Parts: sequence; structure tokens; C-alpha cells
Amino acid sequence: MIFFFETLEYKLEMNFSNKLYIGLIGLSSLMMSCKQTDIENPDTTNTVKIEFDNRFAAAELSLSNTQAINASGEVYTVSTLNYFVSHVVLKSETGGTVSFPNQYFLIKESDVGTQLIELPEVPRGNYTQLSFNIGVDSLKSVSDVGSRTGVLDVASYGNDNMYWSWNMGYIFFKMEGNSPDVDLKGKDKFEFHIGGFGGKEGPTPNNIKNVVLSLDHVKVSQRTSPEIHVIFDVSKVMDGGNTLKLTESPMIHNPMVGTKVSANYASGFSIDHVH
Amino acid sequence: MACKEPSVILDPLKDRTKLYYQPDNFPNPSYDFSKNPVTEDGFKLGKKLFYDGKLSRDGTIACAECHGQSYAFTHHGHTLSHGIDNAIGNRNAPPIQNTAFMDSFFWDGGVFDLDFFSVAPITNPLEMDEELGNVLDKLKMTKEYPELFEAAYGSSEITTEGFLKALSQFMNSLVSANSKYDKYVRNERGGDFTDSELAGLSVFKTKCASCHGTDLFSDGTYRNNGLQVYDREPDNGRYNITENESDKYKFKVPSLRNIGYTAPYMHDGQFLSLKQVLEHYDNGVYNTDNLDPDLIKGEILGIALSEEEKLGLLAFLNTLNDPTFITNPAFAAP
Repeated sequence: MIFFFETLEYKLEMNFSNKLYIGLIGLSSLMMSCKQTDIENPDTTNTVKIEFDNRFAAAELSLSNTQAINASGEVYTVSTLNYFVSHVVLKSETGGTVSFPNQYFLIKESDVGTQLIELPEVPRGNYTQLSFNIGVDSLKSVSDVGSRTGVLDVASYGNDNMYWSWNMGYIFFKMEGNSPDVDLKGKDKFEFHIGGFGGKEGPTPNNIKNVVLSLDHVKVSQRTSPEIHVIFDVSKVMDGGNTLKLTESPMIHNPMVGTKVSANYASGFSIDHVH
Repeated sequence: MACKEPSVILDPLKDRTKLYYQPDNFPNPSYDFSKNPVTEDGFKLGKKLFYDGKLSRDGTIACAECHGQSYAFTHHGHTLSHGIDNAIGNRNAPPIQNTAFMDSFFWDGGVFDLDFFSVAPITNPLEMDEELGNVLDKLKMTKEYPELFEAAYGSSEITTEGFLKALSQFMNSLVSANSKYDKYVRNERGGDFTDSELAGLSVFKTKCASCHGTDLFSDGTYRNNGLQVYDREPDNGRYNITENESDKYKFKVPSLRNIGYTAPYMHDGQFLSLKQVLEHYDNGVYNTDNLDPDLIKGEILGIALSEEEKLGLLAFLNTLNDPTFITNPAFAAP
């Protein structure tokens, strides 16, 4: 019996040390590329999840189905809603931060799997602020093709393109839909494609938006892996600080006009609850 | 002998074995070769891709369709280049040459990294109209491409990076620097200018080189050279990229290398001959917004050119043709 237990224990230890080893490799590579923190004692860490829930105020967003009315009185439905989330930073109540500067997420309303992002190995503590970019930073936007993997791989978008080849850069935010009020050469379609990282050779419009949200002392500990539920109010895209009129500009594909739209959607994010 | 480095470029025939080199009279390359050196296998892969219709939606349009070697990699005889389903593009396809020495690409400079250049024609609905992911999938289905990727990169996996960088390797190998002018300026055999060519060079230096500068014959800037702006669907040029009013109607100053092979001229191919181009500068310049300051002196538009000067310029411009470039079998369809 005793021998049996010893063997079991030995096996457990083996497994544990293997896992630890793999974990350490993972951690070191993360520290190199993905995560930066100035929080001391990161001996205990846990995962923080963030859910991005796109909705119309109180109503669920159902693609091509949910009808909304903007402040200009135009009825519309949304058929596509995608946006890049990057440079996520959590700030703890002690003022320390943990950031994920090289992590890029593409949130797509059509793909539930993309709406929950995971931030691994967040040090234990109480966090009072969450911030992130909507878009892809300028450094990444001018980087070598070899560093553009995953959601930044320009070949990865299929027929739901998120990259401008003609004015090279990512489409940070894309919302397309239909409105009976729009009549553009017989079509009722509207398209907002918002990009523009500020230009490489000279200043051009910059639509990278940093969103800062307060957290009510969200706890991370060995036992607590919080899930932060972020709501994006889709109605803000047309009715934020700027009131957009679909009949006036159903097609927005240029960074300059896009600045009105990006200012709007940046104001659409809020924390709903944490569990 | 063994200790002596071979001198760079003296014999054009010898250069045909070199994939990429920096000619003596060229500025330093802009392309970062440390990230993507040109190798024989990478070049071979890039060349195969360049000539392969699989890059287009229906398999009919290869890069070479609008960039034919015989015409210094332009679309011969087309004012605006034609693409898939006979769609007509918005602009005249520029030559692909000396890409390693350029900071930006396209008439409006919308792409600042050669490695991302190829995405545009592949995905443009008027050109090859294909999704990049589909192209890679098609290549994966073949027998030869995984082998070519393996040879080029040590892995048979077909990646976006490997695909785009192979095309860059091929394009960067398209160095054209063996024109009569190059021989003249490098004091090589065959570089003796006629009196007419010398006179043309002299006119060129005083009246053209402020824009068509360096031995690339472009200073890489964007300028409005006074073409007529059509009210219906005007091409705003550089403005489309910067959305800066002061960039309206500006286009990148094109290189003049191989100009004898690359008619028609200008971003919309509106001039069929070099003579017409010279006439434009002499007496056809329109005073549109952001007209280049070099093209307006008080009330006088354009660059005054006498008939004799025009003859000299035409003679000189034809010394910029590089026959070895358009006949080099290394660049031809595999």
C-alpha cells in the first residue's frame, strides 16, 4: 500500500514538474513578447477573461435582424461588426500595471469564440482600471510581415477583410449593414470601415482609440479568475458625440471621415459586471 | 588574385548571374535585406509566383499580365491597365524595376513596404480579384509549391510571409542599370554619347533633374505636374492616402529608366509618345490646385523647351533604355 502511494506521489511530482517546466517556458516567452508588468511578487497569478458583448443598449444584437433607429431617424440593421482590441492594460489599486502590448484580438460579432479574450498570468491583486486600444498601433502597422501572425495575418480574413492593401494598414473597426433609408445606386447598404494609424511618411488621420474603463476592485488570486463583462453599445457608432446620417454618408472608407466614427465608438464601451 | 574582391559591375553579362546588386551609381537600397535576403531558391519561387495565374480568382491573370518583361514590366499598349474579366483599372501599371531603392509604391505611394505590395493587385477587384488566403490554399494543393517553399525557407509550409517575401525577392532582383546612360556615367565600354545625347543630358540637368533626380531618375516625391483634371471622377492621387488638401492631384515622380519601353505615359497613360510628354511640359500644363512650383513662373506655365532641346531630350531619354533588362532570360517566364 505504502509503495503504491509512493509511486503515485512520484508520478504526480513528475507530472507537476513537467507542467512547471512547460509553464516556465510559456511564461518566459510571454514575458519576452506578450506580457509586461511592474507588479512585484507575481508568484501567484491567474487568468483574467474579458467578454465583449455587442448590443443595442438593452437589446441583444442579432446580425441582420435587430432593427435600430439612429438619432437622424433612420432605421438600420447591422450585418457585420468586427474590431481589433489590443494593448490591454490592467491597473491595480496599488498603482502597478500589467499590460499585454503584443497581444491582438479580433472581436467578431459573427463568431462567439472571438468575443471572450483571455489574459494569462495576471498577478494577484485588486484591479481598478482596464484599458485597451481599438485598433492596431502604429509600430505594428509598419512592422515586418513576419511579425504579423494570427489575427494580424493579412491572408487570414477570407471575404471579411480587415486590411487595406491600397493604403496599407488594418481596418480597425468595421460595421456594415442595411437601411431602407439608404439608396446608393439602388442598394440599401452602408459600410463603415475605419482605419488609419497616423501615417509612416507624414502625419495622416489617426483612428487608434484608447478606451479606459474603471473597475470596482476586481480581485485576482489563486482561486479567483475574474471574467469582466464589457458591453459595447452599437448605437453609439452613429450617435456618440457626433450624429451620423446614413443617407449623407453610407460609405465611409477613409481615415479622415472615419475620425467622427472612431470618436463615437470609443465612447460605446462600458463595464457591465464582473464574475 | 584570390585576395582581391571582384569589382562590382563592369560586365552586364556577368551581372546576369547576380540576383540583386547595388549598381555603383545608385543610392543605398531602402529595402531591409537583413529580413529577406535574395537567395537563388527564393528568387525561383518568387518568379514562379509572378508568372502564375493562380494568384487571380479565375486563374487567368498573373502579375506578368500587366507587368511584361518586354516592356520593362509594364502593360504594353494600355492607357489604363486591364485585369480580370477585362475590367479596366484606375491607373497605368508602372514598371517593376529597382524596387529595392524605392521607399513607396504605386502612383500615390499607398504602400510603403514592398513585402505588402503584392496584396493590392491580388485583392483588387479590377485586377486579380482574389483573396490572399485562397491563393495560399491553391498553392498548398499543388505538388511543386510546397517543395519550392521547402527549398527557399527550409519548411514546406506555405505562409503569408514566405509567399510575400518570395515575390519581393523576385522584384528586388529586377535591377536595371545597364543602359547606355549607365555606361556613360560609369565610364564603361559602349557609353559614348552622341552630340545630340550630350546636348539632351545638359537640358535634362537644368530643366528636368529637379524632380527626376539621382540615377534612379526620381526624387521619390509626389507632385502635380499639371495634367488636366477631369471633373468626372477626378483622380486625387496622393490625397487619397494622406487626405491632405495640399496633396490633391499629386502623383509620385516616376523613374525615367526604360522609358522608351514603357509607353503610354503618366498615371492615366494619356500620352502615347515621349514627344507628347515633352509637348505637355512645354505648352500643355494646366494650372490646377497644388501645381508644382517648378511648373509655374509668374504667369508662365510649364517648362519652355525649344524644338532643338526637345530633340536632344528625346535622344537622351532613349539612352535610359536598358536592353539587357528586358531580354534577360533570368527574368523571363519559367
